[in-house]
Amino acid sequence: MKLTRRQFTLATLMAAGTAGLPVYVKAQGKKTIAVLFDGLYSPFWVAGLDVIKQDLTKRGYEMVQAISDKDDNRQFEQVRAMLARKVDGIIIVQTDSNAVIPAIKAANDARVPMVHFNRPPAKTDAFSVAVVADNRSITNATVEHMVKVAKEKGGKYKAAILIGNLGDPNAIGRRDGFFDVVDKNKDIIDVVARIPTEWNADVAFAGLTNAFQANPDINFLFTSSDFLFPQIVQVLKTRNKFQPIGHKDHIIFGGFDGDAMAYELLKDKYLDADGVQDLFKEAELAVNAIVDLQEGKTVERVLLDPGFAIHQANLEQARDRMWGYSIYKQKNG
Amino acid sequence: MTATSLETEARSSGMRRFVRRVLFSEYLVLWLSVLYFLAVLPFVPQMASVEVLRNILSDMLPLLVVAIGQTFVLIVAGIDLSVTSIIAMASVVGASVMTGDGGYLAGSPLAVPAAMLAMVTVGLAIGAFNGFCITRLGMPPFIVTLTTMMFFSGAAIWFTTFHTTTSSIANLPHGFVVLGQGNIGGVPNSLWVVLAVGILAHIVLARTVLGRRLYACGQNRRAAAVSGVPVRKVIAAAFLISGACAAVASILYTGRLQTGTPILGQTILLDIIGAVVIGGTSLFGGKGKVVWTVFGVLFLVLIDTSLKMLGLSLFSVFAIKGAVILLAAVIDAVRTRFAARI
Repeated sequence: MKLTRRQFTLATLMAAGTAGLPVYVKAQGKKTIAVLFDGLYSPFWVAGLDVIKQDLTKRGYEMVQAISDKDDNRQFEQVRAMLARKVDGIIIVQTDSNAVIPAIKAANDARVPMVHFNRPPAKTDAFSVAVVADNRSITNATVEHMVKVAKEKGGKYKAAILIGNLGDPNAIGRRDGFFDVVDKNKDIIDVVARIPTEWNADVAFAGLTNAFQANPDINFLFTSSDFLFPQIVQVLKTRNKFQPIGHKDHIIFGGFDGDAMAYELLKDKYLDADGVQDLFKEAELAVNAIVDLQEGKTVERVLLDPGFAIHQANLEQARDRMWGYSIYKQKNG
Repeated sequence: MTATSLETEARSSGMRRFVRRVLFSEYLVLWLSVLYFLAVLPFVPQMASVEVLRNILSDMLPLLVVAIGQTFVLIVAGIDLSVTSIIAMASVVGASVMTGDGGYLAGSPLAVPAAMLAMVTVGLAIGAFNGFCITRLGMPPFIVTLTTMMFFSGAAIWFTTFHTTTSSIANLPHGFVVLGQGNIGGVPNSLWVVLAVGILAHIVLARTVLGRRLYACGQNRRAAAVSGVPVRKVIAAAFLISGACAAVASILYTGRLQTGTPILGQTILLDIIGAVVIGGTSLFGGKGKVVWTVFGVLFLVLIDTSLKMLGLSLFSVFAIKGAVILLAAVIDAVRTRFAARI
C-alpha cells in the first residue's frame, strides 16, 4: 500500500493524540521529589545527593534527579520539566543565586514547594526555603584556631585564601569569615594572595601556583572548599611545602566542608583545622522542609546548620559528627 | 534471467530508491522528530501535555536564533565557536546598562532599548572581528573563533566584577524580562522575535543575491571568486550575521533568567552546532536552510526534554545527545557521497 505524505501526517497526529491519553489517567502512585543539583564536582555534593536519596527512599518517596552542569538556563528548563511531570516537591542546588529566581517563581505558580540545599537564593519576593550552613561563623571558628596555632608558633605570616564563585553566597560567607579573623590579627598576618577559583579545580591549581611564584614564603593557607585539597597538596608537594605539623616548613593550613580527605589530612597532621558542614543534618532539614510544606505547615525561609570547626585538639571527640569521617570509615573499615 | 531473480532485483532497487528518497528528503528530520515523539510517549506520556509542548516551544526559541546564525556560517563552510561567548558578553553588557542596581541608565525609559542596542552591538562587533581575522588575515575560522570564545568568556567575567560584588547582574527592568519570559494567551513573546529573525534569514538565504553568494562561497570558493563573487565580504557578512543572532539569543536568555551572567550559554555550543548539523546543513558548506535548522533544533529539544522528563543523569543525556549528533554527521557524510555519485 502506498502511503501519501498527508496520510502519514494524519496517522502520526492521531497516534500522538492516542498515546497522550495516559496523561489524564495516570495512576496515583508514590509521591515524587525532584532533586536538581548543578554538579557533582565535589565529594560534598556526591555525598549530599546520596544522603538525600537514602532519606527520601526511607520515607517512601520516589526521587528523580537532574544535573545542570552549572548551566542556569538548563536548570530552569529542568525545573519546568519537573513541574510538568507533576512532582510533589523540588530540592535544588543552583549555580547562581539570582538566576534561580525565575525557577522559584515557576514552582510558586505551580504550587510545588522548593527547598534550596546548602545554597540560598538572592533576596526575592518568591517563596522558597533554604537550608544553609552558617558559613561565616564556621569559618570564623576555623580561622581562629589557625591564628591560635600561628600565635603559639610565633613569627609573622603571609596568608593566601582560595575564594569560591562569588555568585554563591556560601563562597562570600567563607571569604568574609576568613577576613573577619585575619583583619583583627594584621600584626602577625598579611594576606598576600586572594585566589579566585570559580569553584574550578584547574583554576585553583593555576591560581595557587602563581601565588607561590609571586610569594614563595606563603605560610598560612585557607581554602574555601575541601574539594580543592588534591590540587593544593600537589602545589605544596612540588614546592616541598607539604609537611606535617611540627616540621619547620609546615604551612598552617585550613579548609571548609569536612570531607573524607580533610579527615585524612587531619589524622595525618597535615591539616590544622577544618570547618564542617553537618551534611546529615542539612539533608534531614531539607527533606523535613519539603514534607512540612506539602502538609501545609509553616516553615522558616532559612534553616540554619550551625556546623562546627574540627581541629587537632578536638579531632577524637568531634569526628563522629564529621560526614567525611563516615565516608572514610566506610572505605577503610 | 528467472522471474525470481527479476523480482529480487526489483525489490532491491525499490529499497535503494526508498533509502535514497528518505536520505534526501527535506523533511527527514521532521519525520524523525515525529517518530521519536511517538516512541517516547509510552514512557513519558506527559510529553503530549500542553504544558510540555509549550515548554518545548519556548526552550527552542533562543537556541533557534543562535542556530540560525550558525547556519549562515556553516553554509560558507566556516564554523563559529565564539557564539557562546557573545551570548555571555552581550548578557553582562546589556545588564550593566539597565540594571536597577546602579546600571548606567538605571530608571531611565531608554534603559531597555539602549541595553538591547548595546547587546546587538557587542554581537556585531565580535562577529566583525571574527570576519576580519578570517577574510583579511587569512586565519582559519576554527582558530579565530576559538580564541575569541576564550577571550570574551574571560572578558565577560572581568566586566561583571566592575558592576557587582557577586557573579551576576540582577534587578533587570520588567520591560526587558517580559521579552524572554512573558506570553500572551500562552504564546511566548519571544516567538515573535524569533519568527522575525527566522523569516528575515530565510528571505536572505532564499531570495537575495547575498544568499546565492553565500551558497556559492560554500560550494567552491575559488569558482565563486572567478565568477565575480566578493568572497571576502560574503564570508565576513556570514560571521556578522552569526554575531548578531547570538546577541539576539542573549537578549532572550537574559530576559528568561532575569539576570545578566557571564557564564550564560557556556555549555550550549554542542547543542547549537549539533542542531544545525542534525537539520541537514552540511559541515562541508554550500548546503543549508533555515527550515532545516528549525527541524534540527526541534529534534534536539525533543530529545533533551524527554531525557529530562525521564530523570536520566546528565552523563546519559550527554552520551545520547552526542550519539545523535554523531549519527547526523554520518548521515551528512553519506548524503554528500550519494550526491557526488548522482
